[in-house]
Amino acid sequence: MTRRMSLTTRLTVLYTLVAACVLAGMVAIVSTSVNRHFAELDDDTLRDKGRLIQDMLAKSTGQAELHGRLDDALQSHPGLFVRIADADGVVWYASPSFAFPDGVLRASADTASRGIVTWTADEHAYRALHTVAMRRDARDIPMHVWIAVDTRHHAHFTDSLHAVLWAYAVLAALLSGALGWFAARTGLAPLRAMRNRARSVSGQQLSERMPVESVPVEMAELASSLNDMLARLQHDFQRLSDFSSDLAHELRTPISNLLTQTQVALSQTRDAGVYRDILASNAEEFQRLGRMVSDMLLLAKAEHGLLLPHAEAISLDEEVQALFDFYEALAEEKEILLHRSGSAQLRGDRLMIRRAVSNLLSNALRHTPQQGMVTIRLAQTTDSVTLTVANTGAAIDPALVPRLFDRFFRADPSRAHADRDGAGLGLAITRAIVQAHQGTVQVSTMAGETSFALTFPRP
Amino acid sequence: MKILIVEDEPKTGDYLQQGLREAGFAVSLATTGLDGVHLALEGDHDLLILDVMLPGMNGWQVLKHLRDRGQKLPVLFLSARDSVEDRVKGLELGADDYLIKPFSFAELLARVRTILRRGPPGTEATVIVVADLELDLLRRRVTRRGKRIDLTAKEFGLLELLMRRQGEVLPRSLIASQVWDMNFDSDTNVVEVAMRRLRIKIDDHDEPRLIQTIRGMGYVLESPARQS
Repeated sequence: MTRRMSLTTRLTVLYTLVAACVLAGMVAIVSTSVNRHFAELDDDTLRDKGRLIQDMLAKSTGQAELHGRLDDALQSHPGLFVRIADADGVVWYASPSFAFPDGVLRASADTASRGIVTWTADEHAYRALHTVAMRRDARDIPMHVWIAVDTRHHAHFTDSLHAVLWAYAVLAALLSGALGWFAARTGLAPLRAMRNRARSVSGQQLSERMPVESVPVEMAELASSLNDMLARLQHDFQRLSDFSSDLAHELRTPISNLLTQTQVALSQTRDAGVYRDILASNAEEFQRLGRMVSDMLLLAKAEHGLLLPHAEAISLDEEVQALFDFYEALAEEKEILLHRSGSAQLRGDRLMIRRAVSNLLSNALRHTPQQGMVTIRLAQTTDSVTLTVANTGAAIDPALVPRLFDRFFRADPSRAHADRDGAGLGLAITRAIVQAHQGTVQVSTMAGETSFALTFPRP
Repeated sequence: MKILIVEDEPKTGDYLQQGLREAGFAVSLATTGLDGVHLALEGDHDLLILDVMLPGMNGWQVLKHLRDRGQKLPVLFLSARDSVEDRVKGLELGADDYLIKPFSFAELLARVRTILRRGPPGTEATVIVVADLELDLLRRRVTRRGKRIDLTAKEFGLLELLMRRQGEVLPRSLIASQVWDMNFDSDTNVVEVAMRRLRIKIDDHDEPRLIQTIRGMGYVLESPARQS
């Protein structure tokens, strides 16, 4: 069965079935007890009459006298029938207008049993007792006596009792079902409340929460789990929409510049050299835009947990040396000394780690004054690896520190759109890469030295 | 050298065609995967530049189809998607390179030339000469007009790259990747500074100047005879 039943329907059906079973059991017990009781009553009557007839036979003086006494005795018992015969089958007495079935007579004769026999004929139910009695006038000749009683009046009573009992059972089962339905509906009301609340949640309405306080204890946990889920969704959703608006905002300015510059250039005829300059400048701007989009994509991937570093053994000494080689010329231009101390190994993605450190180094060089110094310190303990990039120079305004890793954040807004300055994504990318490696970034800044420490766990 | 481009975006296709033609290649353009397969199987191209997202039959299918038919033509993929899986998939299918949009044309040109230059390894020259500049790879020595020039290891590597690929415009990102192994969009300012310092050593005392800056594209080292 693939059709799904509602919880209310299931509970109602269950209640009804349970009630029906219980009631049917009760009806069965009552009716068997009543039947057994009636059978015992009938048997008592039969045995009683049997003894009476035995007594009569023992005292009777002849067949005619016996007839008279039996007729008298049976007259007051309309539902009682008697037949008396000798061993050869000669009938001594038989109740008028009543015939014992042959089967009953034969079975009794064959087995000479004294048991109880029951049968039905013409919609009447009979119960008969077979017994043997001795005559006074012929003590050695046993007489077979059959006494039958019509049990129809009992049947009437039990039939109507059955009808009443079953009707009651059916009605009671239905009523239990209805009560069950009502109980289920009332019990499940908190679930409907939650459903209604869930219906009102949408992209714009993510602040809705499930009612934890007003639902029963069993559902409170579910409600609070759902609330946690909503909170996470809301958080991610917020980041996503921040991300989109940041992106749109950051792209708008350079695109507007490009458009203006191109349209101004087109507004009148110019020298080939001028056109070349404009195209070259546009090309540079486009490259910057392209880089920005790639960086944003990388950050987007990182935020969705899609930045999966593949692990290899990295010697940080060698990585730092390679980066020093790369930045050597730039450092020499500004007469900045590059210095490395310590030594460390790490498991991680070489390209990503190199990029993360490169961003820090590039930043450090940008903010170190002439003749300053940039130091990379490597340290390694049993459970962590730390790489610190420190540079001499003025401290960062403490108010700006918490925002350093925000996308598009630039410490010095006046230089925001200087060609050589990045898009303000470098530190965000560094942090994303470090986090993808389960590491952390810490900033410490004071007069004279600013440092960024990357700490990675060691497996 | 004949290049086949399969690209459905008309503007991209046209500009690639024009750019590669002006760089001296014979170029044909197909706009659907199916046309691309036909042209690649019929013509004798030296390189296939294949967009991944194509209507009907995508780039992966085109490449698989060609490789199944024994067509060993080198392939350079262009894609706007840069997931590692895509890149790995391309290379597994037998692509020679994978370039992510937006790319600079100089980068594409440099990679195209790299692929076309691959082939049976010949005897590499140990001395490269451009005009009066000589680079001795074995002795790691550079002379201009017979006068010895002292270079750092990285400056030597930079000059070697420029001289090996003389006449080609090399974008900064390619230079950073080839000389310093910085395979990401790094601080390109660094390449500029390094280039300026190399120029001071190579070009400042002697005319003609061999290293040219092509704005918006990169750098090229060329003998003056070809510069005109």
